[in-house]
Amino acid sequence: MTTATLRLETSYLDSRLAPLQRTPRITPTRVFLAAASVWLLSGVYLVAPDQQAVETLFGRVIAPRIMPGLHYALPWPLESVTKLRVRQLQRLVVGGDAADNILGRTPPLRSQFVTGDKNIINMRVVVQYSVGLPADYLFQAQNPAQLVGSAVEAELARRVAQRDVDAVLTTEKASLQDETRAAAQRLLNDYRAGILISTINIESSTPPPEAADAFRDVASARADTARIVNDAGGYANDLIPRARGQAKQMLEEAEAYRLKKVNQSMGDASRFDQIASEYGKAAQVTGSRLYLETMEQVLPRIRKVIVDKNGNLDLTIIRRGDPTTTK
Amino acid sequence: MRDRFQKYYPAAAAMAGLMLCYLTFFSVRETEFVLVTQFGRPVRTITEAGLKVKWPFQSAIYFDRRLRTYNPRPSEFLTRDKKNIVIENYVVWKIQDPNRFVQAVGDAIAAEMRLHDIIWSGLSAALGTHDLDSIVGTEREKVQTSSLLDGLTTAADRAALEQYGINVVDVRIKRLNLPEQNKQSVYARMRAERERIARQYRAEGEEQALSIRADADRQKEEILSVAYKQAETIKGQGDAESTQIYGKAYSKNPSFYKLLRTLESYKKVLDDKTTAILSSDSELLKVLMKGEAGAK
Repeated sequence: MTTATLRLETSYLDSRLAPLQRTPRITPTRVFLAAASVWLLSGVYLVAPDQQAVETLFGRVIAPRIMPGLHYALPWPLESVTKLRVRQLQRLVVGGDAADNILGRTPPLRSQFVTGDKNIINMRVVVQYSVGLPADYLFQAQNPAQLVGSAVEAELARRVAQRDVDAVLTTEKASLQDETRAAAQRLLNDYRAGILISTINIESSTPPPEAADAFRDVASARADTARIVNDAGGYANDLIPRARGQAKQMLEEAEAYRLKKVNQSMGDASRFDQIASEYGKAAQVTGSRLYLETMEQVLPRIRKVIVDKNGNLDLTIIRRGDPTTTK
Repeated sequence: MRDRFQKYYPAAAAMAGLMLCYLTFFSVRETEFVLVTQFGRPVRTITEAGLKVKWPFQSAIYFDRRLRTYNPRPSEFLTRDKKNIVIENYVVWKIQDPNRFVQAVGDAIAAEMRLHDIIWSGLSAALGTHDLDSIVGTEREKVQTSSLLDGLTTAADRAALEQYGINVVDVRIKRLNLPEQNKQSVYARMRAERERIARQYRAEGEEQALSIRADADRQKEEILSVAYKQAETIKGQGDAESTQIYGKAYSKNPSFYKLLRTLESYKKVLDDKTTAILSSDSELLKVLMKGEAGAK
């Protein structure tokens, strides 16, 4: 091949490639630079609002908690980024499984706890937890969920074993939940599990079916007691106000009696006083007048037998039913 | 010949360099321990994460250093007071010394078997010195589960670390239960207890109700009797006052009172069923009989 033909060929090629001359020529350096910039740009990443991320450089944690937003990390294989949904609550059941309960039975051993007074009860507890510290959550435990379940179960079992059955079933349910949550959280902090327990909820705590009727009877006995006491209270509430009313009535009547008595006597006394003062002025006449007036009032009503001072009395004239007779 | 291969030399050198890098540098993650071995002999342990260097002829064995949970099967133990209790525990452990671990144990399953032996014997020894009431009981000061488990954890940790390079972080009782064969008698006891409590509730209710009723009755009697007392006192006052008024008024003229009161009585005493036998000599009839002379 001669140089002349080569030149000809290149000039031919040049003319053919003219429209492409505006795009940069592909050289190994450019390819390398392009690849490098793509590689570097691949380090940009986004942490969504509900997420947090952990950055590691060659496996070593360099940023344990990266908040939501746009971030940059050196690309693979230098750094790696793990994102976690920290706010998302995860749910865990301790004790009988919820699924078993739909079928109406729980495997007895899974749900049975022993109380302090050596009673057996069935419990089901729902734990809700979320990621507290992403780095710990990711790197400290093989199976964080199992750790949560175990810690909660252990703390619950220990507390149930110190309370009697009535406390667990009724009065101390809330304190049991709170104490278990706090203690399990302490335990998980000791393990550095990076987990935050948000709630522990005793979904059900029931006596075993073998003794359930006896427990129900206690409940109904309690209701009976309340009813009997209420009835008695009702009796008392009925009785005492009535008695108070009656007492008030008696007092009012007595007061009325007293007033009547006093007023009557005052009236009588005043009447007497007046008559007496007039009587004092003409005692003889007034006495006779009063006597006669009274006789006038009295005698017409009664039967009268008038006998002579010295005469004998024929008693046969006094017969029952006879009209008034005058001899 | 030499010329033909000469242009591959840089590429080959680069390849070799990369290979060397690959063999020399290695990264250790936070979740891992690395044991560097030289022809199978452990040389050093790397416990820190990051980029590490070794000789190309050395090799790296990776171990998961994270916490693991081991759940032994529930087993029955005998307490000091000869009572059976079924205990299910969990063990939190991790590899602490990869060198010893790889030599004495090998893998996680073998490790769990060994842990099971250590903890089972530790637990059964510990429970043998405790009464059931110090594990399960309502008297809180008597319950010693925590100290028992702390002691067990410490002992198990010491033994496991020394022998197997394992760190026992925690041993906890996950579940307590009573043996299956005792359950029926437990249920019977529970029922009896409940019946007793129910009877007690009812009797207490009765007691309370009776006392409420009795109290109400007493209050009623009290209210009424106090009212009676007050009422009679008031009436007495009225009577006394009226007596006093009468006395005061009438004592001014007793003879006239007597006359007036007698006449007043006649009006009431003498009614239509009365028959009066009047002497013609009487004051009233004197005039009738004797004429005007009678009036004198």
